[in-house]
Amino acid sequence: MPVSRRTFAAAAVCVVLPLSGCGSGSEGGSSDASGRIEGDITFQTWNLRANFKDYFEGLNADFEKKYPGTNVKWIDQPAEGYADKISADAAGGTLPDVVNVSPDLVAPLAKAGLALDLDKAAGKYKKEYLQGAWASHQIPGMTGTYAFPWYLNTGPLFYNKTLFKEAGLDPEQPPKTYDEVFDAALKMAKETDGKVATLANVPTIEDFGRYGVELMNKEGTAFTFNDTKGVELLTKYKELYDAKALDPQALTATPESSGKKFLTGAVAMNPGSALDLGNFKKQAPNLYKNIGITDQITSTGHVNMYVMGVMVNPQTKHTPAAVAFAHYVTDAEHQMSFAKQVAIFPSTAGSLDDPYFTKEDGTDETRVRVAAAKSLKNAVNYTPVLFSEQMKTELRNEVAKALQGKESPKQALDNAVEACNRLLQQQG
Amino acid sequence: MASSTVSRVRRQLPTGPWLFAAPGLLITGAFILYPFVSTVVNAFTDRRTLIPGEFVGLANFRELLGDDMFWIGLRNSTLYVVGVVPALVILPLLLALLVQKNIPGITFFRSAFYTPVVASIVVVGLIWVWLLDERGLVNSLLETIGVGRVGFLSDQWLLLLSAMAVTVWKGLGYYMIIYLAALANVPRELHEAAAVDGAGAIRRFLTVTVPAVRSTMVLVGALSSVAAFKVFSEVYLMAGPSGGPAGEDTTLVMLVQRTGTGLTGRVGYASAISVVVFVVTVALMLLVLRADRRDES
Amino acid sequence: MSVMEKVRQTTAKPTTAREPRVTDEHGRRIRVWELALRYLLLLAVLALTVGPFLWQLSTSLKGPTEDIFSSPPKFLPSDPTLHNYKRVADTIPVWDYALNSLKVATANVVTNCVGAALAGYALARLRYRGRRVATLVFILAMLVPVEGIIIAQFTTMRELGLNNTLVGVVLPGSISALNVLLMRNAFLNLPYEIEEAAYVDGANVWQRFLRIALPSVKGTVAVVAIFAFMGAWDDFLWPLIVLSDPSKFTLTIGLNYLHGTFAGDERLVAAGTIIAVAPLIALFACLQRYFFRGVGEGAVKG
Repeated sequence: MPVSRRTFAAAAVCVVLPLSGCGSGSEGGSSDASGRIEGDITFQTWNLRANFKDYFEGLNADFEKKYPGTNVKWIDQPAEGYADKISADAAGGTLPDVVNVSPDLVAPLAKAGLALDLDKAAGKYKKEYLQGAWASHQIPGMTGTYAFPWYLNTGPLFYNKTLFKEAGLDPEQPPKTYDEVFDAALKMAKETDGKVATLANVPTIEDFGRYGVELMNKEGTAFTFNDTKGVELLTKYKELYDAKALDPQALTATPESSGKKFLTGAVAMNPGSALDLGNFKKQAPNLYKNIGITDQITSTGHVNMYVMGVMVNPQTKHTPAAVAFAHYVTDAEHQMSFAKQVAIFPSTAGSLDDPYFTKEDGTDETRVRVAAAKSLKNAVNYTPVLFSEQMKTELRNEVAKALQGKESPKQALDNAVEACNRLLQQQG
Repeated sequence: MASSTVSRVRRQLPTGPWLFAAPGLLITGAFILYPFVSTVVNAFTDRRTLIPGEFVGLANFRELLGDDMFWIGLRNSTLYVVGVVPALVILPLLLALLVQKNIPGITFFRSAFYTPVVASIVVVGLIWVWLLDERGLVNSLLETIGVGRVGFLSDQWLLLLSAMAVTVWKGLGYYMIIYLAALANVPRELHEAAAVDGAGAIRRFLTVTVPAVRSTMVLVGALSSVAAFKVFSEVYLMAGPSGGPAGEDTTLVMLVQRTGTGLTGRVGYASAISVVVFVVTVALMLLVLRADRRDES
Repeated sequence: MSVMEKVRQTTAKPTTAREPRVTDEHGRRIRVWELALRYLLLLAVLALTVGPFLWQLSTSLKGPTEDIFSSPPKFLPSDPTLHNYKRVADTIPVWDYALNSLKVATANVVTNCVGAALAGYALARLRYRGRRVATLVFILAMLVPVEGIIIAQFTTMRELGLNNTLVGVVLPGSISALNVLLMRNAFLNLPYEIEEAAYVDGANVWQRFLRIALPSVKGTVAVVAIFAFMGAWDDFLWPLIVLSDPSKFTLTIGLNYLHGTFAGDERLVAAGTIIAVAPLIALFACLQRYFFRGVGEGAVKG
């Protein structure tokens, strides 16, 4: 007897059916963090193993010693594909207990009920952190705070003194305002026949924010960066692009490629952080000697900062341990010791007043660190929490169209706002 | 002859055929077709990564028609087929003929020509991005000979062209192997006979080689056009995740990846694009096979 | 027939490596200018295919002070150093990751060779109801855009409890539809008569498959093996999604750390790519003799 089609169909169903229950394993887990701190928890970081293996292994061991009966399993994921990894885990119900996130990653997780509300579970720790940092993991349209603030970063603007000199600009008087940057850039392009650009990146959402554009309405329900200020900034960039004061390859630039251009002297200015200084020293010793450092340009009086957070998975089987560990990683003591390992800044209240962040010792590293720490006290994370990857792409593409002259700046921003608002609604 | 054989085989081993095919069918069913079926189902919902979503009928497909990026993706994926397939059908055949003769050192050349296939696409991407960089090797050479630097990785069309070149570069050895196997099938008597008849190299190529490897050319054409239409890695690595200036280098599969992944991914909409990609590749396949049949008759 | 006769005579002449004159596979002498042209073309293609790798190798050997952007370019490092490799190895446990990659790739080779040969044989040689459907299943599977179904694949894997295991990394590609179709084509090209004879001699289907059909398609099996190895060694996104535990990472994910950590230093990225590619090239260099011989022998001459 040949095998009939029906037999095959039956077999196929047997194979397929057990898999068809679409997964969101929501067993276990409570938001009550007040129980005994014990059990096995997993802690996921974002590309920190390569450089800070010893730090984290020590941290986890200390926690286990302090709370006997706990066991921390540390996993680290590479930078690329981090969002893909988290979304696969979130969709599949395999999110680790404690996860290193950024505000834009927290927002969709919180909306799907996959981030623990810390105002409820750990409200008593709130006062330990800088107010602005604590608030950075709150989501418009929702009550609650969904991650402990972890490290902050911000940085100055670096410029190439040699290139400034060659273009007849005063290397000791770097631009301080947007207008001065634009003027210097146009002059640089003119003097070098467009060979040296001053800026290497197209404006991103945080640039619009720093320029003083209202990015969203008060309720956080719609984007508004197509206002006159926004159009003004984009029009200015268009002028720079046409004059080659904005690098012609800016439309396809990545932060890495623009950093490289600065290193090789093809671009005169580049935003960076204290981290980059070491990089310059190693990779371009000649440039390092001629590097100028100036404050981040801002029209609002507040510089931009990046915030990292640590969230707790509400489905964890050991809520008390997970919350305790997330707090342990981000408390003042451990943030301070982490900051001494690498050029980042703690988000805990008072830490930035530590002599480490206030006393200069004459080196460039310290100078950059002290200046950054000072500016962080009133810094703002301009990137709206709800601004997703897809929205970033929409904005980037519309900005490119405006720079290429395919659309007017106004038209481009209108389109971008419309697309982002649509995406915002669809995020639900 | 064959039919009597087969009927007796059946008597011997009733489940034999299925036993042979079962592992392949199981794996393919569970890990390719089953997920794909759920993708097709998703195409009719507004499902997002973390939100199950509801049935929305044809709304996703209607939205596609008005989405500029979709048309850009369709254009680029189609251009990719048009640009890459002829090169991948012809060049590897010529290469196979070049390395077919057993002259000294030929095995070295054969393996060397195969190295780009062996290297992973991520590595290949990194190598070529570095080569075509504004200050990379190709541009320093161009500058040295006085042509000046070319923005391979910043111009929309040059980017697409560079990605195609990389695809061809990486595919040459792969299809060369397939042709080599086919050429080994060509009875050498045919060549000899033609040579004795006084046919030159080019005529022998056209009258002996091409007809003999015709079915292989069709196979290569089908495989490469399906792969070209689904192109992702080369363009993604060279033009970046947002697809070159103003997203003008986005291909359809890149659009699937961009809209459907991440925590805010629109799984439903991305699935609709996947379905379109699937339908077009099926159509491409049928087209190639039909052209084949027409040629034959 | 007289032509054929003549051909047999010429081919019958043994061609040994010691033979003073250069001859082609038919034993005929190749003219010098033709030979020169061939080598010229071969060298040109060689520069195109291998050159990029050598440039990468050269970049990876250049020390931190050497200018890698110079124009005209410097092809040889003035002061070659392994410093960059050391830094890569210090940063990521290259050997552990390479071992994981090796496990995954080897498993992939075995499952693909066995699974694809079996299924290909069933599609090409065995007659049964539903054969066309089975063939169609594989053709359709080949057309599915994998990037679109990766989350669904992950959910499936999780429900099987195989996420975060190397088995989970291997399974989806363990019997690829393309390989099944390649094997099917190879079996289809075999003349029926040989198996017919074996059948008359009383060989059953397994014996015919193992003793007659399979040895005749060694070449395609070699092709499938190499494709399977490369495919598994290559893959980035799927292992990244499936694996969480760094101790299980494969080399491609591991090397990705370089990108995040040393972005902008071409020398280190170059060293990383060479580490990723060198084992494959070495493996291929060792196997190429069998590979190409197999490819040539794969077809039964008619």
